[in-house]
Amino acid sequence: MALPGPVAWSPSAVSRTPDERLEQEFAQLFEEYASPIYNYVLRMVSDPDRAADITQDTFIKAYRKLDTVTELAARRSWLYRIATNTAIDDMRRRRMLTRVGDDSPVFENRADEGPGPEAQVMAGTLDERVQRALMSLRPNHRQCLLLSDLEDMGPQQIGEVMGLSYAAVRTLLCRARGEMRKALAAEGYAR
Amino acid sequence: MTFDRDRHVDFEELISAAISGDITLDEQHRLDAHLAGCAACRATADAFAAQRQIMSGLRHVAPPRDLGARVRTLVELEQRRAVPWWRRPAAIFAGVGGGLAVVAGALLAIVLLDSPTPPDVGQLSPTPVPSVSVAPPSVEPSSVPTGAPVVPTLPPAQTPAPSGTVATPVPSTGPEPTPPPNEPAPDPDGYVAVAGPLESPTMSVIDGTTDEEVAVIAEPSETDAVGVPTSAELSPGGQWLAYIASLGESGMNEVRVTRIGDALDPADGDAITPVESDVEVGSSFAIGRSVAGSPFVDRMSWSPDGHWLAVTIADPDTLEVDSDVWIFDVTDGTSHRLTDTGNGFAGSFVPATEDDADGAARLWVSLAGDEPQSHLVELANDAEIAVVDPAQDPIASVRAFQPLVSPNGAFVIAWTGRMAVLGDHWALSEGGQPILAAHAPGSDEPFAQARSLFGDLVIDRDAFTWASIAWSPDGVAYALWNASWTGASQGSQGQYPDATRVYFGHATDPRGLTEVHAIDIGDVPDDARVVDVKVAPTGRHLVITAGRPTPGDLTPRSADLLLITRNTGRVADEVEELASGDDGWFGPAIFDDASWNDLLAE
Repeated sequence: MALPGPVAWSPSAVSRTPDERLEQEFAQLFEEYASPIYNYVLRMVSDPDRAADITQDTFIKAYRKLDTVTELAARRSWLYRIATNTAIDDMRRRRMLTRVGDDSPVFENRADEGPGPEAQVMAGTLDERVQRALMSLRPNHRQCLLLSDLEDMGPQQIGEVMGLSYAAVRTLLCRARGEMRKALAAEGYAR
Repeated sequence: MTFDRDRHVDFEELISAAISGDITLDEQHRLDAHLAGCAACRATADAFAAQRQIMSGLRHVAPPRDLGARVRTLVELEQRRAVPWWRRPAAIFAGVGGGLAVVAGALLAIVLLDSPTPPDVGQLSPTPVPSVSVAPPSVEPSSVPTGAPVVPTLPPAQTPAPSGTVATPVPSTGPEPTPPPNEPAPDPDGYVAVAGPLESPTMSVIDGTTDEEVAVIAEPSETDAVGVPTSAELSPGGQWLAYIASLGESGMNEVRVTRIGDALDPADGDAITPVESDVEVGSSFAIGRSVAGSPFVDRMSWSPDGHWLAVTIADPDTLEVDSDVWIFDVTDGTSHRLTDTGNGFAGSFVPATEDDADGAARLWVSLAGDEPQSHLVELANDAEIAVVDPAQDPIASVRAFQPLVSPNGAFVIAWTGRMAVLGDHWALSEGGQPILAAHAPGSDEPFAQARSLFGDLVIDRDAFTWASIAWSPDGVAYALWNASWTGASQGSQGQYPDATRVYFGHATDPRGLTEVHAIDIGDVPDDARVVDVKVAPTGRHLVITAGRPTPGDLTPRSADLLLITRNTGRVADEVEELASGDDGWFGPAIFDDASWNDLLAE
């Protein structure tokens, strides 16, 4: 992702002190994952401002602990785990976990007014209908589905992010897909 | 379409696994065999496949354009936080006016993550050298006009309760903190600790991030009483620690100052030159002893450049209540009486502006009385402090008591009402209440848009006597505790206002403080009392010194240092014990307000 602003975030590869190497790694981490993390969180909370705040907090938390994750391959799961936990904390603060489906998606052109239920269902883009369906899911179903189908993670990696076993992820993902199927049907997208 | 979940559930999971490409050969064979004869599962497979296609094709939303800059700024803050505050670069310590903003802006304009390690500019003396204050000479103060005022604005207040009736608290989900865009970590820069053997404890400054001891505080040589700190303020730049020591059963407090850091090196030309001092690191001074017990007395305020400390001394050796303002000068470690009226109280210094005379500072000085007044006076850099009549040619005057200006200069909290001597102290005797206003000292209305700090209290025959108040370095959040209220409770859920609770609000909240702005009862242990509160620069966290014993308990004194994360609605506050009173007295916390204020303003 090309970041806006005058500051280049890709320092040249020269000999560096350990701190400088860490900082370079963080810059690369941000450049590679800022956009995917933002989109993942956005689909989780359905609010661009909150998603930006959560993404920001995610990277600051990552910056503080970057030196504890030495394996580059593990950093993706680790970063998504931070993002997931930060988003959950945010939702918990807003009492969304106890009021599932009470989210107020703020995607543009939301079909919340119109002449009738059918017209409402058919209004809006497919993207908006999918987002509404996602927001009707339980948060852990939503996370699992997003990690699998949006982020293309396998069960092993999803387990690392969500702190679940391989078998638990397979079961959870299946249930999430089943719930999403119903939610999409409610949005007028039935197969 | 109907779907028999009981019959097909195993295969549904295999379908899901197959969609994810996570299926063994054996599982695939079993699934294929089943799908060949099961229309329902074939429909499920089609639905799941379509669903994955839809999900993977969701539109990609570009992050906000400023996300990178926001993270960069916070990383910059983290980098500075990672360096102990007493060793930060001079530019960070400068802490006054636009100079630091220029430096900070320049720092952000470089490749942040490629920046070199900040230089080590401060050193601490391992062996404190005690010394004492000297008598002040008298020089007439100067008077320099301030520049044109810029009046900040307050949000419109919500409708107040009808006069003469008991207010019914408005149902609310609680205060909604508005953290600044550059949210820093909530941990304090440091805290004071009194630990060690009971008969000879050591007082020291502990790094709030690493918990390492960074300075030993020697008590002034003339002091024979061991005290515990009940209030502490770090000078802008962190070279000096001022604290109020409770001398226990004597009923007195002692105001002390210790130099804990070495001189700063103004390495950057844009940095404001720090105040130089002849005083050696480790030197301690006792400014004076006061009668304990009044929040109006137990306050300290540093000038924006760290040149002066303003305190109130309530003389314990006179029969009449006698309080006056004293100024400690760091350049030579001397204390100077500023008022000699017997009813003088130090408010707060006003943040510096570009229009201030070189090295000058402005201080709100209050005169208690039936109709208390406050006057803004100037301390000139090139003249030594002398006794003045604050009411004579002040820069500004208001009919309010002890103005406390927010660190960014935008807001002010002060007290209104009549005052009288109650017991050992001046206190509000009739109609006392805190007010919140926009701070515009150079304008016709220095306290603009003033309104009650509490939005749901009816101030009539029942009113406040006093309370303790602290601003956050962010200039918006504030805390009020130790509230002394005369008369009946106006609460719907118990005592309100409550002397044992901490009320936490934001100047931008149009509701002001209300009953629901009290932090959770369980935040402070039952057997402890709130000794001191600092509001973190996040605007969402409090660092509370919870001291023991409570009155009537004769156990040794101890204090927990608690970090409170304020949550709203039904979500309980989070409490982290930064230091346990089991090991001594920990607190108060200290923040370098000036540095945070400038960093947050970037």
